[in-house]
Amino acid sequence: MNDFYLIRKNLTRNRLRMILNCFAIFIAFLLLGALGSIRNAFDAGVELSADDRLVVVNKISFTQTMPVAYVNKIRAIEGVQKVTWANWFGGYFQEPRNMVVMLIVDPESYLDVYPEMILPDSQREAWFKNRQGVIIGEALALTYGWSLGDRIPISSNIFSHKEGGSTWEMVVEGIFSASNGRADTNYMLMHHTYFFETQSYGGEWVGWLTLTTGDPEKNEVVSRAIDAEFANSSAETETTTEAAFNRAFIEQFGNISLIIQSVVMAAFFTILLIVGNSMVLSVRERAKEIAVLKTLGFPAPRVFRMVLFESLLLAVIGGVLGMLVAQFMVEGMSNSPQIARIFPNLAIDSGTWATALTYMVLLGLLTGVFPAYRALTLNTITALGKG
Amino acid sequence: MKQTKTVVSMSLLSLPQRGWMAVTVVVAVAIVVAVLLAFLAMADGFRNTVNNSGSEALGLVLRAGSQAELNSGLSGDQVRLLRDAPGIKHDDAGPVTSAELYVVVDGTKKSSGTSANISLRGMELDGLKLRPTVDIVEGRMFVPGKNELVVGAAVADKFTGFALGDLVRLGKAEWEVVGVFSANGGVYESEIWTDVRTVQTQFNRGNSFQVVRFELETPGDIKPIQEYVDENPQLNMDVFTEKRYFSDQSEGVFNLIFYIGWPLAIIMALGALSGALNTMYTSVSQRTREIATLRALGFGGSSAFWGTMAESMVLALIGGVTGIVVAYLFFDGMTGATLGGNFTQIVFAFKITADSMVSAMVIAVIIGVVGGFFPALRAARTPVVKAFSLEQ
Amino acid sequence: MSDNLYELKDIHKLFVKGREPVEIFDGLNMTIKRGDFISIMGPSGSGKTTLLNMLGGVDKPTQGKILFDGQEIQSLGEGKLAKWRAAHIGFIFQFYNLMPMLTAAKNVELPLLLKKLSAKKRKENVEAALALVGLSERAKHRPSELSGGQQQRVAIARAIVSDPDVLLCDEPTGDLDRATATEILENLQQLNREFNKTIIMVTHDPVAASYASTSLHLDKGEFVERDVAA
Repeated sequence: MNDFYLIRKNLTRNRLRMILNCFAIFIAFLLLGALGSIRNAFDAGVELSADDRLVVVNKISFTQTMPVAYVNKIRAIEGVQKVTWANWFGGYFQEPRNMVVMLIVDPESYLDVYPEMILPDSQREAWFKNRQGVIIGEALALTYGWSLGDRIPISSNIFSHKEGGSTWEMVVEGIFSASNGRADTNYMLMHHTYFFETQSYGGEWVGWLTLTTGDPEKNEVVSRAIDAEFANSSAETETTTEAAFNRAFIEQFGNISLIIQSVVMAAFFTILLIVGNSMVLSVRERAKEIAVLKTLGFPAPRVFRMVLFESLLLAVIGGVLGMLVAQFMVEGMSNSPQIARIFPNLAIDSGTWATALTYMVLLGLLTGVFPAYRALTLNTITALGKG
Repeated sequence: MKQTKTVVSMSLLSLPQRGWMAVTVVVAVAIVVAVLLAFLAMADGFRNTVNNSGSEALGLVLRAGSQAELNSGLSGDQVRLLRDAPGIKHDDAGPVTSAELYVVVDGTKKSSGTSANISLRGMELDGLKLRPTVDIVEGRMFVPGKNELVVGAAVADKFTGFALGDLVRLGKAEWEVVGVFSANGGVYESEIWTDVRTVQTQFNRGNSFQVVRFELETPGDIKPIQEYVDENPQLNMDVFTEKRYFSDQSEGVFNLIFYIGWPLAIIMALGALSGALNTMYTSVSQRTREIATLRALGFGGSSAFWGTMAESMVLALIGGVTGIVVAYLFFDGMTGATLGGNFTQIVFAFKITADSMVSAMVIAVIIGVVGGFFPALRAARTPVVKAFSLEQ
Repeated sequence: MSDNLYELKDIHKLFVKGREPVEIFDGLNMTIKRGDFISIMGPSGSGKTTLLNMLGGVDKPTQGKILFDGQEIQSLGEGKLAKWRAAHIGFIFQFYNLMPMLTAAKNVELPLLLKKLSAKKRKENVEAALALVGLSERAKHRPSELSGGQQQRVAIARAIVSDPDVLLCDEPTGDLDRATATEILENLQQLNREFNKTIIMVTHDPVAASYASTSLHLDKGEFVERDVAA
């Protein structure tokens, strides 16, 4: 027997109460884990952006296009290392509801600027050679069950094919993954040459350009130089870092972080009340036993630690269970194509676990400190006097 | 019955003794209710805003398959052809139509200082007639051919630099805000309007449009226009009533918020339930001797049962009402904004409906009933002998 | 080592009850010799339990000195007092005060957690203490599975397991029937005689008091001479 044995016995003496408290804590951490993963999914774009990558968009709005000639003009600007560009295809598969994120790109330069996309060399070569070829992300391949060599028709809700209709026939030449597991791979890329040759209208336009500076220190100078180059032209530009661009895009949906944080905080406040109260009650009920311990010669700080540890233990048991179930749920959810389409990179990462562990300790300390203090200062004589 | 009344009043009167335990249940239930209401208010508010914008008497066409105005594209020829379609109402000046072009521009949010997309809509003067909910509340309508804007009330309110008389730089040109309009809280309030020709020139759009809006001869009847479009190979267009178009647009966002809100509230309710059970079990065990004494005096088990149930119900109901009041004070009328189907901001007001309040109370009542039931069973089964025993 | 285990000098103890200060002791002097078995009787409110608490270092006099083995204990801080209690004092209460969630053996082991002993050594001591009170075969039972007398014997085992100098007993037989009370008292007497434990016992029961070698009667904070009914 040791102090831990006593703590454990104290915790489990009122099994029903322990289970109810554990469950309440479990719920709070389940929410923390599940909502944390959603927030993570939203933030992934920002966190995974390379710090020397800049995005150039039309100053009016990122939905406005720019002439393809900008690519070479920007390449010529000092400090710019690699440049690539993309345009939004507005793709869907068979039904307009089945949205597919497809970008029209320049294959060689795109893969050069985004080295985090992992594609076997053979597939890379095959795609470069076949204009009708597309490469698709792992997640997207999983959603529709597409594999190498499949011929797939993708329709656009923006462009029309010059031979009528708005559907393009593509061949899957490669399936790429991302070097970071949190990165989104729920999209596909098509050759710009194929698109430009077959579209019915609209000249050669690009939606946005991505470039690298090789050194984050140069970002500011380069972005100013680019925007100055196109000032007062028919399509002025706005150049920002990739992270800033992604963040601005996410923020447009509303303050998701704030909403999630508010809900988690509300849940924690509730649980704090429930568990804290219960601990106070539990210590009050055993006032006499605590008095006996102190009479036997247990020093008050040791008794204080024992009560504090009990609530910590409760918080950690409930919390770890909640996080494990959240992990299990999130993994299940991320395998569902419907959910993966909304939140492509749902996962509980080590950061969320670290937050959760911190919260467990905080919850344990907060719910335990008051009853532990009562135990510390408990008047032995009065407590023993209680019949 | 009289027994039950006595016991119920006894257990309720002893509530203050369990002060903090009782407060815990009330607060826990209130928080669950408030969170649920916040989400439902968001979903209802969004739907309300979008649906308020749609009318059965109006119709619109988009390029086939484009689903949203942003993706649509119509040539000047197509627009001319369409104006001749049967089923479109005519007034003295001909068919009541407005061909419109829509570009996305950046605005700066007052609240966060971040930039967000706003729709700049170029329209014809009939456009105003085709939006019966719209009222110019300040200033006047724009004059075609001039760089003049009228802005929606939500834009004027939420974004910097769009007050009446302000000069705004959009694209390459400067524009003057000459009017502010309200649209009964609808999506249009999140838009900026000007002359469609001006937009074509300023944003290099040639003679292209994205949408044609028109008044229907018979409200709700788009069939003649649909047939006309089907017969005419040049017109590959989708025809909608305005109401249908808007409700299609809002469905996804509404469902997302709605189906996140409910599971969240249910999960949190489970947490609150464990708190309620804890409190009620404690209440029963603290009153064991009291209950047993009553039973020794001849009171039945059911009176002990109902006493505990009543206590739990009262706490849950107080919690439910508190939650509703708090949610109402905090969230009702609060404005939010999100990206709509056109990649532009839709500003909407949170709306707590009577239905939501009922749902919230149902959750509170369920917590009260389940949270009281099991402890009440224990109370009813309290052995009489406990009245005489030393230990509690 | 002096013969006097306890020396109480000019003990004053004030209580504030409501607004009125009540003086329980007003200059009490007392000496307790090593190996004594003292019973203290007296009406309620006479200060019996307060005296016992002060002897055990859980309560302090308002004024005066308590010397234990020549060392002043009333001036020790909480932490030192706790250590001192663990080393020298065993407590036995009227309602046993066992931990309901622990078995008899674990209850007895409790005070040993305060000493640096190996698990094996602790086990030996616990077995010895339980054997001494005749409860070896009940080691695995919880308090709720034991009779009142058995619980009190577990409490005695707990009090003696760390081999203290003094046993302080507050109405140890107050909750027990005569036959069981006799067993407990015989147990205490044995501890006093065979193991030379100093025992101070507060009791209402003249029969219990008769087991002591010295019987004192406390009234209004003073010891009064009175015949002990044999």
